[in-house]
Amino acid sequence: MLAYLLRRMLWMVPTFLGILIINFAVLRMQDVSLAETLVGGGEAGERQADGKQMAAQVQGHLVKLRRTGRDLPALLNTRGFIGPEGIVERLRAAERVGTTKDSDAFRAEVELWSGGSLLVEPLAGVLRDPAQARYHGPAATALTYAMMPIVLPETAERQGVAWVEAARTRIQELERLRVGYRNERGTGFATTDPKVADKVARLLVLVDATPGEWDRSTRRWTALVGETGFTDFFAKLLTGTLYSETRKQPVWDLIAERWQISFTYNFIAIAIGWIGAVLIGIRSARRMNTFEDKATTQVLFLTWSLPSFFVGTLFLHLLCTDHPGGRTAWFPNRGILSPDHAWMSTWEWLKDAAWHATLPLIVLCYGSFTSLSRYMRGSLLDQLGSDYARTARAKGVDEDGVVYRHTVPNSMITMITLGSGLLASLFGGSVIVEQIFSIPGLGQLLLDAAIQRDAPLVMGSTIISVGLLLIGILIADILYAVVDPRVRARYA
Amino acid sequence: MPEVMTPSQAAWAHFRGSIGVRIGLAILAVLVAGAVYAPFLSSEAALLWNDGSGWTSPVLGELFNRKTYAKPYDLVFNLFAVTLPFTLAIAWWFRGTWSWPRRILLIAGVPLVAALVMVVPIPRDDGGWRSLWRGYPPESRSLSAHLADPGTVRAVFTPIGHQWDQTYAGAVLKEPGTVNAATGRPFLLGTDSRGQDVLARMLFGGRISLTIGFVATGIAMAIGILIGAVSGYFGGWVDLLLQRIVEIMMCFPTFILILIVVSALGRDIFIIILVQGLTGWAGDARLVRGEVLVQSSRDYVLAGRALGLGRVRIMFRHILPNCMTPLLIGAVFGIAGAVLGESGLSFIGLGDPNAPSWGQLLNQGRENIHMSWLIWTPGLAVFALVSALYLVGNGLRAAFDPKAR
Repeated sequence: MLAYLLRRMLWMVPTFLGILIINFAVLRMQDVSLAETLVGGGEAGERQADGKQMAAQVQGHLVKLRRTGRDLPALLNTRGFIGPEGIVERLRAAERVGTTKDSDAFRAEVELWSGGSLLVEPLAGVLRDPAQARYHGPAATALTYAMMPIVLPETAERQGVAWVEAARTRIQELERLRVGYRNERGTGFATTDPKVADKVARLLVLVDATPGEWDRSTRRWTALVGETGFTDFFAKLLTGTLYSETRKQPVWDLIAERWQISFTYNFIAIAIGWIGAVLIGIRSARRMNTFEDKATTQVLFLTWSLPSFFVGTLFLHLLCTDHPGGRTAWFPNRGILSPDHAWMSTWEWLKDAAWHATLPLIVLCYGSFTSLSRYMRGSLLDQLGSDYARTARAKGVDEDGVVYRHTVPNSMITMITLGSGLLASLFGGSVIVEQIFSIPGLGQLLLDAAIQRDAPLVMGSTIISVGLLLIGILIADILYAVVDPRVRARYA
Repeated sequence: MPEVMTPSQAAWAHFRGSIGVRIGLAILAVLVAGAVYAPFLSSEAALLWNDGSGWTSPVLGELFNRKTYAKPYDLVFNLFAVTLPFTLAIAWWFRGTWSWPRRILLIAGVPLVAALVMVVPIPRDDGGWRSLWRGYPPESRSLSAHLADPGTVRAVFTPIGHQWDQTYAGAVLKEPGTVNAATGRPFLLGTDSRGQDVLARMLFGGRISLTIGFVATGIAMAIGILIGAVSGYFGGWVDLLLQRIVEIMMCFPTFILILIVVSALGRDIFIIILVQGLTGWAGDARLVRGEVLVQSSRDYVLAGRALGLGRVRIMFRHILPNCMTPLLIGAVFGIAGAVLGESGLSFIGLGDPNAPSWGQLLNQGRENIHMSWLIWTPGLAVFALVSALYLVGNGLRAAFDPKAR
């Protein structure tokens, strides 16, 4: 039994990893680069990458990118190995001379700004080299961004007041030291700042003041895989420091408020749907090819073709709305409890909850009746026609005994497998149902996050949904072993 | 009908004879015809127009105008609208003398050839062959232009007379039957919250549902067939690996996956189609694998091998054609699933904002919960399409699955 369960759980690992990787890929696919976020794509070439003008904007975006780890390369961070020559090479690509397209140049120039502290050493190296005076302007600007400590509002508290104060003073100081320069078509980089030499010198003094902070001799190796978007994502996921972009709260907190609702609703819906389907299936099989069986088939076919979003909206329209003719609504149209539920007695509270849950549960579970009950009918018919059923009848077991004691338990094996498949579709369906009936559950959270393109929240709620789903599948596996003696025998 | 029938002939006869299948096919035919001939039923441009310089057909001239029909699938449907009569005529002419594959080839081939001749040069050249039909601003030959200044023009208009993407002034959320002041025609099924004609949007929305259904299922089937066939025929560790992948895909909540991908990549109809196709193949793969396993042990495979045929040839020329029937049934249900998926997605507000989807209309019904026509019309349309597909699929299953009969 234990071996069987371990085996089943091991198979879930690739599923879960698949979800994580897809999530990570989706995260990286959203408009990543600083250049695109700065100008909103398109006519990048029109703008001068003027550090002074853009400073506030760049800082804002660096904070946003830091929050989800999008400022780091996805899988391999080789920034620690870029030397001063590498920087100069990149700056040459960013120069608006020759055949370089303006938009490409802009991108190359801005990419350097999100390089982070690993680039401080080579950038300082460029500034120390008088032969590269031509590039001192852009290099100094990039250096001010590389040295800039990024203060995330949500984690500032944890890092302490002193740290935040120090970070603020440094940001202000770096702002004063930003060097003005132009990047004109044809002539390339030219420093326009009269105090360039003085500013560069002061920048270098600032760099030398804390040499330990920029030292990359060992860090470049650990950063290779240790400071990538992927590890950052996983670290945040595991430590619970994944922050929603739109709600400025930890993703896990937002989910913790809501997951019980979705879980309860789905659990009840599955129980009703599954038990109902089994009962319908047994009844249909015992009255095979009678009028009742055929009528059930037709009705079930109609419900299968009725999309849940249509039924839900129709319920809302017919049963949950006050009509001008004078009829008042029979059911509440939103939420899981009335606003005054805090003052209710337990009995009233239960009634209120059931009142709110009736329609959503119907919409959630009616779709599962059709396929499940057809499978139940088919599998029970197979069993009823089998030899052991005939033997049981021959030795005098009454029909009820044949059905409920002998054949139904054997039909359960298929039904349990199908039940775990039901889970997956229900989790998708709950997004729609929660949206229709304004139920503050996981599905609605996921949908809101998807519409607002809040990547961390989408990831968090997907992972939790899939986690719940996998737990459900595991439960189905356990039941499977309980019902089917062959499984137990094989792993005994 | 011959007295002795092959099993497949008997199955087709059973299929055609079923009442459910006939109802399903009739509903499908109505929906498909409505979608294909939507521009002729519901367009502001005149069907025929004569202002003294001879008869012209502005609707026909508009059909391949990329400004009026920006989406590629609209152009494909318009092409079908033009070539369908010819295709049907040729198919009828050759009835009985041509085998099924040839007829299918013909029905697909006529529009394809027409597309090569007509559609391909359009994006490059604004004039081209269309200038034979056009050469005037389309707005000047529309219903509202005619109503504003009838002059001496004789014209025939489309029965509905409203453009699907046209926002009419003062027509927000009007009940069915309200007359449009700009065109003098009634909104037969009312208007939505932006002042657009619901019926026109329904007709053009059918195009989206059909496109999604067929293309997404086609992609899913192609992947499923390939993976299932390889997995079933080669067996061994290939089978083990592929089955694990299939298992992962099976318990993947596809709707949630579509949701996150659409939110990340943008709400474009083709992304939705692609994602649905790329996630929906697991069931097909499992089906094909099972069928291939059964077929591989048949004598004709052994005979093929004895004749020295290659594995790939046996697989694709001999085994796969024998697995097609369950796949066909699966495809019909797959189309229904894809239609439901797309309408669900646009219902929750993640569909293509530039496409007149049925789900989007129903979403407006949810936002304006007292406007019953915004709920019933799109909801019943989805229901009709899905149940028609169910009837056809069920009929196929009943006809070809001896156990079910």
